[in-house]
Amino acid sequence: MPKAEKETLAAQLQPGGGVERWAERHLRFLMLAPTVLILLGLTIFPSFYMFYAAVHKISPNPDLPWEFVGPDNFARLLSDTQFHVALWNTTVFTVVAVTTEFLLGLGLALLLDKFIRRLTFLKTVLMIPMMLPPVAVAITWKIIYEPQFGVLNEIMFRLGLPLQAWAGDVNLAMFSIIVADVWQWTPFIFLLMLAGLASLPVEPYEAAALDGASSWRQFWDLTLPFLKPVIAIALLLRVMDALRLFDLVFILTGGGPADRTKVLSLYIYQVAYRFADPGYAAAISLFVLFVTIVLSTWFMKRMRLAE
Amino acid sequence: MATIRTRSRAREMLLRLSAYLTILVALILTLFPVYWIAANSFKFDIDIFAVPPEWLPRNPTLKHYDEAFIQRPFLRYALNSFLVAVGTTIVSVVFGTMAGYALARFSYPWQWRKQISFWILSTRMMPPIVSIIPLYLFFNYFDMLNTKSALIVAYTAFNLPFATWMMKSYFQDLPVELEEAAIVDGDTRWGAFLHVALPLARPGLAATAIFCLIISWNEFLLSLIITLTEQSQTLPIGIAGRVTQYKTYWGEISAAGFMACVPIVIFAFIVQKHLVRGLSLGAVKG
Repeated sequence: MPKAEKETLAAQLQPGGGVERWAERHLRFLMLAPTVLILLGLTIFPSFYMFYAAVHKISPNPDLPWEFVGPDNFARLLSDTQFHVALWNTTVFTVVAVTTEFLLGLGLALLLDKFIRRLTFLKTVLMIPMMLPPVAVAITWKIIYEPQFGVLNEIMFRLGLPLQAWAGDVNLAMFSIIVADVWQWTPFIFLLMLAGLASLPVEPYEAAALDGASSWRQFWDLTLPFLKPVIAIALLLRVMDALRLFDLVFILTGGGPADRTKVLSLYIYQVAYRFADPGYAAAISLFVLFVTIVLSTWFMKRMRLAE
Repeated sequence: MATIRTRSRAREMLLRLSAYLTILVALILTLFPVYWIAANSFKFDIDIFAVPPEWLPRNPTLKHYDEAFIQRPFLRYALNSFLVAVGTTIVSVVFGTMAGYALARFSYPWQWRKQISFWILSTRMMPPIVSIIPLYLFFNYFDMLNTKSALIVAYTAFNLPFATWMMKSYFQDLPVELEEAAIVDGDTRWGAFLHVALPLARPGLAATAIFCLIISWNEFLLSLIITLTEQSQTLPIGIAGRVTQYKTYWGEISAAGFMACVPIVIFAFIVQKHLVRGLSLGAVKG
């Protein structure tokens, strides 16, 4: 600390409102400090602690010391087929669910923009699914998918189609999870795209119309580029959410049948608690964290979200 | 000329018709599952299992509400959820508002403003499963497992970044001149924040608080791991606990699940003007 500054600091800390003046001078740091410290404690510290856990074999018995095993837990990632299955399932879920939600949400927004713009009440009603507790959504779909008395099989029956076990069927389980997720989250994309469309400037479209550009060209050359920032945010948030999928799977399928819906979050949960191997679970968690950081940083840097 | 006009009018009509039809279908698809859980919660078990399904409860009953909220501790779970949500919201909104204001208004050396904003946002992206192992060991060490305070600490980890970004975006929308005028009139910098900026940001503050309440109320994974006792478990965990390997208590979980949705729907209508901003962490202003 420079000498002059030290002196003013000492002067300010004298009784008679000195502390207040000091606080006022450093207000910008003081207002930010609690949040930064809390988040350091709640995110950075756990990350380092997890790294420490990941290089140990941790016994379920808390009295036994941790055994240092070095990179063993990370090496296991390469040979653990269950981990590969979970990674694959998470990838499939993320790609299929987010793509479907995006196309549906964008399509609906383009089709309905003009008609629904002022109907705030109706828009809010359509937004209800994504606000609901995921557990409530999961049990709702569990009732709908129920093979014996569920509504979906009733519809199949009326249509003369074969009845299915849905969430209990090896080939349809992931599909069932995706449908529930699409039901819950398409409104999110829809809402964000509507907001994006509402903020489009009018002039370029008038110019394009004068030039005789088709509506398809207008969409491709004007609408899509203008929407790009909103699309990026919507996709970023959806992808991050899809990577952490847990609640729906936990209630609807429990990861089954035959591990077809076992996603990464669920696998970490099982390794940590059912197989009582927190060291290895920490290694998988670090992998997930790494992927999340790489993906989100790439997205955010590209879109200059932090500015 | 006349035929062209009729044709384009016909096309316009068709577009309008298909739009309204789409809205209708979307409404049915959106509302049916919510309706269905509500309808089932008012049916006797035998009617829940009816084939073909009973579209309207013929014999409405409050039996499952009695089972869940009187005989089983769902009222307790709901209270726990409520207390944890309120605690988390207070912590997140108080500190998040200050940090959001600082990031919206002050300048920092070495591009800190940008770096810190970016870092706070990235903590929000962290999947909760990733932090459960350290958090579990940490709470275990401090004997905080099965407490509501542990849940508040854990939930703050993702509500605080949210509140910071929301409030930052609201403060950025406010004109700085009013605060400058207050300072010229002799107010301190902190005073200008407290007496000028904060009252102006009140709608944003309310919206941020309600979003924090919703996020905490809905949370499942962290509560599943941190709490095992009736005294600390939240509503979603209580509901999941009635879906067992051997039996699913359809009526009970429908009643409790429907009750878990009711406050959320009310909240959704309160914050409807802020939905876009809230759901995009302040990134899209709707």
